[in-house]
Amino acid sequence: MWNIRYFLLVGLCVPTLAAIESFFEELSLRNLNDGKVASRFSFTTRLEGVSPRDPRTLGFDDEAQHYRVFPLALGQILREYGVSELHLTLNAGRWDYDRWGYPEEKGVGTGAELWAWMGDGAPMSIDNRWKGLRNALAGLFCASLGSMDELRTTAPSQAFPPEGRLPSVDLPHQLRHASLPSEHVCTENLTPFLKLLPCKSLSGIASLLNPHRLFDADWHGMGVHVLWGEEEGVEVRLAFQSVMDPLRYSLSMSRDWSFQSLFSRVINKTCPVAVSSRVTVALPQQDAIEIKPNPSIEGEAAFFDVATVAKPLNVGMHWQHNFQYPLGEPIPLTPLSVQRTLKGSSQDRGQLSLVIINHETTTVYARYLETMPWLVQFHLHTLQAQVKGITSGNIISNFTYVPAVPHSRPTTFEAMLSLPPRSTIHLTMDVTKAFLRYTEHQPDAQRGWDLPPAVITPVEPLNSRMYTAGLLVDLATPDFSMPYNVIIFTCSLMAFIFGSIFNLLTRKFVVVRLD
Amino acid sequence: MPSLNVAFPALVVARLFVALSSLPDVLKHNHQLSSPLTSFSQLQEGIYLFNHDIDIYSGGTFRHSPLLLATFATIIPTSHTLSSILWTLCDAAGAWALVKIWRARQNVASTPRDSLIAASYLLNPYIFMSTLALSTSSLENTLTLFSIMFACHGNISAALLAFAFLIQLSLSSIVILTPLLLLLITNPLSHLASPRPILVSLRKTIPLLGEITAYTLILSLVSTLVAGSWAWIPQTWGATLTLPDLTPNPGMWWYFFTEMFDHFRPFFLMVFSIHLLIYIAPVCIKFQHDSLYATFILLGVLGTFKAYPTSSDPGLFLSMISLFPETYPYFRHPIVTTLLHLHASLLLPLFHHLWLVQGTGNANFFYASTLVFACANGAALIDCIWAGLRIAIGKQHENSAVVQE
Repeated sequence: MWNIRYFLLVGLCVPTLAAIESFFEELSLRNLNDGKVASRFSFTTRLEGVSPRDPRTLGFDDEAQHYRVFPLALGQILREYGVSELHLTLNAGRWDYDRWGYPEEKGVGTGAELWAWMGDGAPMSIDNRWKGLRNALAGLFCASLGSMDELRTTAPSQAFPPEGRLPSVDLPHQLRHASLPSEHVCTENLTPFLKLLPCKSLSGIASLLNPHRLFDADWHGMGVHVLWGEEEGVEVRLAFQSVMDPLRYSLSMSRDWSFQSLFSRVINKTCPVAVSSRVTVALPQQDAIEIKPNPSIEGEAAFFDVATVAKPLNVGMHWQHNFQYPLGEPIPLTPLSVQRTLKGSSQDRGQLSLVIINHETTTVYARYLETMPWLVQFHLHTLQAQVKGITSGNIISNFTYVPAVPHSRPTTFEAMLSLPPRSTIHLTMDVTKAFLRYTEHQPDAQRGWDLPPAVITPVEPLNSRMYTAGLLVDLATPDFSMPYNVIIFTCSLMAFIFGSIFNLLTRKFVVVRLD
Repeated sequence: MPSLNVAFPALVVARLFVALSSLPDVLKHNHQLSSPLTSFSQLQEGIYLFNHDIDIYSGGTFRHSPLLLATFATIIPTSHTLSSILWTLCDAAGAWALVKIWRARQNVASTPRDSLIAASYLLNPYIFMSTLALSTSSLENTLTLFSIMFACHGNISAALLAFAFLIQLSLSSIVILTPLLLLLITNPLSHLASPRPILVSLRKTIPLLGEITAYTLILSLVSTLVAGSWAWIPQTWGATLTLPDLTPNPGMWWYFFTEMFDHFRPFFLMVFSIHLLIYIAPVCIKFQHDSLYATFILLGVLGTFKAYPTSSDPGLFLSMISLFPETYPYFRHPIVTTLLHLHASLLLPLFHHLWLVQGTGNANFFYASTLVFACANGAALIDCIWAGLRIAIGKQHENSAVVQE
């Protein structure tokens, strides 16, 4: 009897214990050259020993999943559409690479960006799964990701390599990428984000995520990243980055900050399920500072283990000297500075201009990606690269081009740029602006259309990515109040000409006497 | 009147002189002079992509025939100067063909009006400006005139081959196929004043129809070989039927389908396409005694109603009026027509600029001027049909009037 009971108990327990789940949280803070403070929250959940769902099994019922820490709502979506890798970012503002350097989380393009790697071989096509995925995520994060339709979906070949591993090599994987620069990030996106965390925002580092302060930051953005690694298993990383300005709140040009001043909150409790929970503060090199409470210092960073330090934890940094704005041009922190503009005042054509400055003393190789909705059509034969006003033929090489399809597919243009040392490179290309049907215009048609940022991927350092600022294109609009009038006018004129001609052709000519 | 030997080279040189000035750069992107189907910069873009092994018919906005693409990608380089010269020479060839048509109609070796006919083509601003903008509609006009010229000379194969090339470049030109076949089995002489039923058996057109079908099939096959697939058909011919590009032009389609409700779009696309074909039978029946005149009238219909017209399409019709001086006394309202054309040709560029560049006008301004342009073309068409029929009654006597029953 005992044996049977014992056997049943073990049988019930084994599948639930199959996956080892672990949760790590980290907050890193660093001071920027212009007096601002960049913070990055990162919450990682691992499902060890689990691999993404094989897309070939998508036609069958999924095996039951039991999660304790791993976010169930996200896990269900990932399994429903057989997603191997997923990156969703929602950002507000423009990341200033020159002043702030590379961000810790690479996805800083303005608005929403979603890209996913999916294995082929499912009964459903990749495009259908992509459609389902973006609609499911739109529902989960309360964002208009559903508008990332075929008008905005591309499959660039090089700019977005998988950041983890892709399972089962025999299965070809495909990328889908879309960005929606007009998407605005706000509290309603943060609430579902917090719900995916095991301790919500009740304890641990996540308790600092105060929407009132985060959405007041100069730059802020959140990201959801799902990766897979053979040893790590499925990993979900939820990240929140912000750039805050202590000088804005300071009356005396003081750069001092603390959790209380940045987030209006302190850490009161530890998140009990977190395997590790720590706060990292990068130490400025030249200035004299003081950090409270006493941290453990390794190299150029100060660490706090939230589980062991005394609570409430209110990390703060005090500067001996007041901040003085650096005179003159700041030294750019990235090897490249990129600026993209759309020139021309006419509503039917313009010129796309990309100015890249290479600050290095060596030639820098970088990939250049444009994913443009069909609204703006490229004239590739006018693409020119100029250095110091002289057209240079060997800057652009190796380009791939997928032309847009009017009313549906966007353009994808990828090229390799070799940027000569210490020089400014001007890339220009003529573009035509499309004329849309009146039903295709947005409700606020006169505002113009937001165009996605271009992506520059320097070959060195590996895995860096730079987003340019988005663009706004002003398209010609028809008169929205006139569809009936136009139909009536044109049809009347055609009927008039048609009638006159047939009148002449069908009736007989006769001579009549007038008296 | 200077003889053609003097006047023609002088006109061509004058045209070349203007073509090599900086004027073409200003006009290159003008929507009235070149449509997305005929624009030179689209052609250049297509050649560039073609040379870089990109499948241009898989998408994109390249809507030129693969034959043009093959010609310009391999044989003729597209430098701007060279193209300007080529386009002007093309117009010169068109003018020469028009003179040949005139001579064939008069059935004489040369007439004093020859230079006037050439000038009416080379100095027609609608054609002239469009050529300066390097619109491929100039090439289409030349092909049209060549196939009519060969038809007038009874040169069957040449006429049909030229016409097969024309269909490759612009599908809507198929409207003039019937009168062209009738012209091939009759003669180009003027019979407007003495209408009589067609005497030749219409069965004679059947082998001609077979020949043109064969040419079209061969050229389509060549196009497919150049393009690498059949994808060129929806991109080029399909565009005139489905109107994917709503760039403004002086025609009547673009704003209508910009403002059209989505669920009625296919219906009205069908109506507009079939509307072009409706004129063929009545015009050919009514002018069966003079097929050249029927061809001319249908070119007028095309210039008014085709899907992506440029100013050179009505321009061809207007220049061809010079072939029929016998109808001039019978025009119905020539002054009104002239004034309408003057009005439209001033309004079109002005309102286009106000809408798209200046931003002080809206789309309705330009739409209104295209309506005026359509009125002008329609009025010219009515003038010519009236005159072509009225001429048979002869001079009007006192105390009598000519009316329609």
